[in-house]
Amino acid sequence: MARMKFLCDADRCIECQACVTACKNEHEVPWGINRRRVVTINDGLPGERSVSMACMHCTDAPCAAVCPVACFYTTDDGVVLHNKDTCIGCGYCSYACPFGAPQYPQTANFGTRGKMDKCTYCSGGPEPDMSQAEYVKYGSNRLAEGKLPLCAEMCSTKALLAGDGDIIADIYRERVVTRGYGSGAWGWRTAYGETVTV
Amino acid sequence: MLVKRRHRDAATTGRLSQMAAGMAAKPLDRRSFLRASGLTVGGLAAISTLGAGMTRRVEAAGFTDMSQPIEVKTNICTHCSVGCTVKAEVQNGVWVGQEPAYGSPINRGTHCAKGASVRELVHGDRRIKYPMKKVGGEWQRITWDQALDEIAEKMGEIRSNSGADSVYLLGSAKFSNEGAYLFRKFAAFWGTNNVDHQARICHSTTVAGVANTWGYGAQTNSYNDIRNAKTVIFMGSNAAEAHPVSLQHILEGKETQRANVIVLDPRFTRTAAHATEYVRFRPGTDIAVIHGMLYHIFENGWEDKEYIAQRVWGMDQVREVVKDYTPDVVENISGIDGETLKRVAQQFAQERPSTFIWCMGGTQHTVGTANVRAYNLLLLATGNVGYEGTGANIFRGHCNVQGATDFGLDVGNLPCYYGLGAGAWRHWSRVWDVSYEYFVSRFDAVPAKGGRDARTPEQNMEIPGITSTRWFDAVTIDSEEIDQQDNIKAMIVFGHGGNTVPRMQDAQRGMDALDLLVVADPHPTTFAALHSRTDNTYLLPICTQFECSGSRTASNRSIQWGEKVVDPIFESDNDYAVIYALSERLGFADQMFKNYEMVQGKFGMEPTPESILREINRGGWSTGYTGQSPERLKAHMANQEHFDLITLRAKPDAPAEIQGDYYGLPWPCWGTPELRHPGTHILYNTNLHPMEGGGAFRPRFGLERDGETLLAEGSWPRGSEIQDGYPEFTYALLEQLGWEGDLTPQEMAVIERIGGENIGGVSWSTDLSGGIQRVALEHGCVPFGNGKARAVAWNLPDPIPVHREPIYSSRPDLVAEYPTNADRRQQRMPNIGAVVQADVVERGVARDFPIILTSGRLVEYEGGGEETRSNPWLAELKQDMFVEINPEDASARGIVDGGWVWVTGPEGGSRARVKALVTERVNKGLAFMPFHFAGWFQGEDQRGNYPAGTDPIVLGESVNVITTYGYDPVTGMHEGKVTLCQIAAA
Amino acid sequence: MTIFSRLLTALSLVLALSLIAPAASAQVNPTESSVNEDALFQALGTSPVAGRVTIPDANAGYLIKPENKSWAALQGQTLHTLSIVAVVGMIAILALFYLIRGKIRIDSGWSGRKILRFNAIERFAHWTLATTFIILALTGLNLIIGKSVILPLFGEAAFGTLSTWGKIAHNYLAWPFMAALVMIVLLWIIHNVPNKVDLEWIKQGGGLLKKGVHPPARKFNAGQKLIFWSVVLGGAALSYTGIMLLFPAEAGTAADWQFYQTIHALVAAALSAIVIAHIYIGSVGMEGAFDAMGSGEVDENWAKEHHALWVEEVKATQDRNTKQVATPAE
Repeated sequence: MARMKFLCDADRCIECQACVTACKNEHEVPWGINRRRVVTINDGLPGERSVSMACMHCTDAPCAAVCPVACFYTTDDGVVLHNKDTCIGCGYCSYACPFGAPQYPQTANFGTRGKMDKCTYCSGGPEPDMSQAEYVKYGSNRLAEGKLPLCAEMCSTKALLAGDGDIIADIYRERVVTRGYGSGAWGWRTAYGETVTV
Repeated sequence: MLVKRRHRDAATTGRLSQMAAGMAAKPLDRRSFLRASGLTVGGLAAISTLGAGMTRRVEAAGFTDMSQPIEVKTNICTHCSVGCTVKAEVQNGVWVGQEPAYGSPINRGTHCAKGASVRELVHGDRRIKYPMKKVGGEWQRITWDQALDEIAEKMGEIRSNSGADSVYLLGSAKFSNEGAYLFRKFAAFWGTNNVDHQARICHSTTVAGVANTWGYGAQTNSYNDIRNAKTVIFMGSNAAEAHPVSLQHILEGKETQRANVIVLDPRFTRTAAHATEYVRFRPGTDIAVIHGMLYHIFENGWEDKEYIAQRVWGMDQVREVVKDYTPDVVENISGIDGETLKRVAQQFAQERPSTFIWCMGGTQHTVGTANVRAYNLLLLATGNVGYEGTGANIFRGHCNVQGATDFGLDVGNLPCYYGLGAGAWRHWSRVWDVSYEYFVSRFDAVPAKGGRDARTPEQNMEIPGITSTRWFDAVTIDSEEIDQQDNIKAMIVFGHGGNTVPRMQDAQRGMDALDLLVVADPHPTTFAALHSRTDNTYLLPICTQFECSGSRTASNRSIQWGEKVVDPIFESDNDYAVIYALSERLGFADQMFKNYEMVQGKFGMEPTPESILREINRGGWSTGYTGQSPERLKAHMANQEHFDLITLRAKPDAPAEIQGDYYGLPWPCWGTPELRHPGTHILYNTNLHPMEGGGAFRPRFGLERDGETLLAEGSWPRGSEIQDGYPEFTYALLEQLGWEGDLTPQEMAVIERIGGENIGGVSWSTDLSGGIQRVALEHGCVPFGNGKARAVAWNLPDPIPVHREPIYSSRPDLVAEYPTNADRRQQRMPNIGAVVQADVVERGVARDFPIILTSGRLVEYEGGGEETRSNPWLAELKQDMFVEINPEDASARGIVDGGWVWVTGPEGGSRARVKALVTERVNKGLAFMPFHFAGWFQGEDQRGNYPAGTDPIVLGESVNVITTYGYDPVTGMHEGKVTLCQIAAA
Repeated sequence: MTIFSRLLTALSLVLALSLIAPAASAQVNPTESSVNEDALFQALGTSPVAGRVTIPDANAGYLIKPENKSWAALQGQTLHTLSIVAVVGMIAILALFYLIRGKIRIDSGWSGRKILRFNAIERFAHWTLATTFIILALTGLNLIIGKSVILPLFGEAAFGTLSTWGKIAHNYLAWPFMAALVMIVLLWIIHNVPNKVDLEWIKQGGGLLKKGVHPPARKFNAGQKLIFWSVVLGGAALSYTGIMLLFPAEAGTAADWQFYQTIHALVAAALSAIVIAHIYIGSVGMEGAFDAMGSGEVDENWAKEHHALWVEEVKATQDRNTKQVATPAE
């Protein structure tokens, strides 16, 4: 069984934000919710690298550990999803997430954040696959269609890789060997407890 | 197929769930639970807060119903020039999804932020929804008929009072090829050369510089071919933001070749972050930098001597000029030390193939053409043009700026670079099947004024028009000063922003002074909002290229057919229909459209783009726009996956109809479509047979100079029967070679008809039969000849480039030695750059405005930015106009990151209120502002000037409020990259 | 809110690292000197990896915050366990106490004479505080242990709906809770200042452990003072941290939210345990105690046994009042 992961090859990422708008486009994500974002470290300096970041679909996801209503679940593909019907918008997952993935449709005063929203690895939610109900709550379900997340599919420089963790780690490893440098599989150690070594 | 299975299926129902479910008799929703549990909610103010926030707001438009059929349409991204294929999924006439177009060898499924969000363009939240006009300062809805009738009537009035030249036709790099061609043809029928488009302000100096060096003004290689390069120089190009998908090829090439990627730029850009060497220099000193590199190359003998001897004329003169650019001199001018430059020069010369990439950092200068020429000299000296992995990889800006340039949306050309001479007019008269005299009758006679001679209409039609950078000067300038009958009175603007050239205070005055302003665009541009006009201002809703069909030419000259995805939304209509409807009212539609297949459009008849392209095929001989029939282009789009990633050539297993073709039949694609020329992936490539896409430098500047031949010596394309240089092919040359017998009788008949008395003068570019081209190619010859590139372009103001300080120079001490070009008249207007520069030095402007200001692109936005700033998916990512300022400059001024600042400029007390982005991207003494913003003007929010509901989401100050005077002496390109400013906390 | 989120502390660490990286030569090779995740983690320790983002959300600039996982472990396991231990533990202790000591009777039996202990305002304040606290505690507890207790019983849908309303109730009932808290402070703080009597009361274990032992007390004995101060201080802590959690933008960043949440949960667990004891003694644990907050009038014998000094004060006051009223009549 595939274990789906993301890997952003920062030596390819140019902060073009295609992943961000592809996500908005695919799921009609409203203004103010950023399921994916690009962070540039050392901006303007020779060490500069940009990394595209979204939910990493962690092993032993901390969001799931803290969720008071247990709305998170992990699919057989290793994708961490959540149930918006159960979610109470308490915000704990956003405190617990090391990657800033959980998003809320409202400003959070009086606890009225609304239902949490995050990257679904383009695989919807608990509703029937590819149904309108699922789309309205979570966006489209590309995984069920046999496709991968659109952010990675549309990445301008093929920096953002999505797919089975072993396969994308191999692709990354091969790149590092070919070119002789690699700034690391950003977030892997934190999300999966292991990184890609070359 | 990935099938998702969930752990949760069993767990969703708990032990007591049956009981709970039984209680509610249906799955518990909120209400039934409360009822069942006896809880009351009265008095809880909480209910109101449950509202909108509880679920995602979603527009149904994005939902794909898998039970319904999905139509897949392929089109091309309408943003930059890379030419990414867009795969659109359509259901019931609604564009419901974008899928990666993996087949395209150009983008291989990928996009940048703009490309990944093009579907929003047809959501149209902020599009112009119906024609409008301003009445007493208020926008009013009108019908198309009323709008076009009134516009035509006013154009007629202006024509009779001030002449045809008083109507300025500003076209667009967003047109399809067919639209651009039609617009140029429209200008010819109207009777003016005042027709231009965005190329003026992005790569006009490239076209002038490159064409004057080796023949054609275009990217010599392709994005894909950069994968072959061992050394890549970016100078004045930030491709990572301006052409993101090109970086896919460049970074993969860098990785697999372990290539050197050298970025020379005043600013540490996102591209620089991925370089193997970054070199910072003072803006506007490109020529000194290049000459500094050539100094080391000649000093150390790194030049390619054989290449120069065979294919370049005049390099010895260059060698003499660059001797003055010693490392010390260059460091003083540019700030780059000799060792660094030597290292870069050596890599470029010796770790070949090397390619040189430039963009607007090189072109938007008073020395734009000279910069381009300098880049060319570096390429020629190192033998880096005309082979795989080499070349002048000029990244064009807009999706069809190459095509619109090719089709003469240019003050100095008819379609396909025929120029404006009588021969050009006669050629196109034949193609259009309209008499030459008709066009003479349409042009103004120009009276003698300002000490200049009068012109007949026939003379006037050969004089280049006013450049788009100066249109507002041409509105307000003293009539004596303008070299045409009268000032500009009307602006007809199709798809062009109003914030794209410097001196916006003057542009605003120009807009206010016009008698008629027509904006035909999907969005109201700055042209619709900057001014205080109350009447005679029209907005016409034009659809995007996703709502009509047509071809567009990417930067690499590949031509791609875009298929209409959905019908034009709201009351918008396509360019073809609107140009036709306007021509009809102006009385020349019958003549202009007689060669086209007319079909019923949305509101009336319109020509099919296929039939327009077929006319282009019948006339575009000079540029090889003749082989790309609509059928061939469509076959390429349908079989994209068969083209090789690196060579762009259709592989042997490809269907017969495309086998051997280069993707998109990059021009020149010689002869008729039936000849099946494959297109030309790499220009001037002598390693290939001309029938396989080979070529040579184009001899278009005579046969000899200073007693030396300008034809190639000892170099020819593979398979050539003439094993030396040769001039362009004419019927006379065929006769000399004894090849005229190869012409078919039909071809002969056409040549005789065209030639008349002077049949020998019929050439490869005027022979409408294509016979001369066919015969030349069959003998392994390039129709345009086999010449040398010119290291010395004697017809330009600086035949060999020399460093010239910017007009607003931060180094006034250097101006005496390196002054800007002398004042001159060009394109019907005076250029007083030298006077301005002298004044700037005298007044000590650099003391009061100590920071150099440069400008550039952001990845999220494009051009004037109205379209992209109206797209919420993009607008969210850059919500404020900003100025990049170095931390040292910022702290000296008490400026904090994210704080408001006033940027003030040295002309007219100009000022702009923007946010500060404190960053090391710029060094001390340099500031950078993006050029996509408008809607604020010197601190004033102009949102109210846009028609209700069409204002872009994000507004901001335009950098061109601050930028200043300065025009390239060859093309009238503005100085957009170097001026001076001061910045203070607001 | 600034568009270019500047994350100074973290950024400066990153800058420091990058300054080490470039080689000694003047050549700038951005590929060679690029930042590396492993090296960055080593330099940063547990500080977050941060950078620049273009969206106007300061928190989005944090790329990776490994420390958040520690809070997740604390919240997901430690607090979960502690809360259960506190609540279940207290119930167990009380049950044990009940088994051993049984109900504390009025030793001298019902006198039949009533004495007013709490007036209507006091009772209103108490019961507002009590009911809101109970709902707050239950809804709060639900967030900690609901998923292991209620979810398996009722299923996802019912639990989700319950929790949604529970959260809303929690957020809004906090306000009457805080108002009542202020009231009881104003009403009773004067009676709850510790004094010498309390020492004696504590020495005798409040007389709870042994039959017939009745240490004297004023209106509130030391045990009740302990409850009072627990409720006031705990309530204040809960209120403050709760408000911070309700207004996260004002509270700061995720690290602050984590801190407030942890304090909130710990205090809530402790206070819940204390209040359970309070409820026990005010109801099944002690004969005659409930009347104090029920009708407000307690049996005189009960009062004498538990609040002897207070009864004397009340009597003295009554006598004085009677005299004052009577004197003019004479």
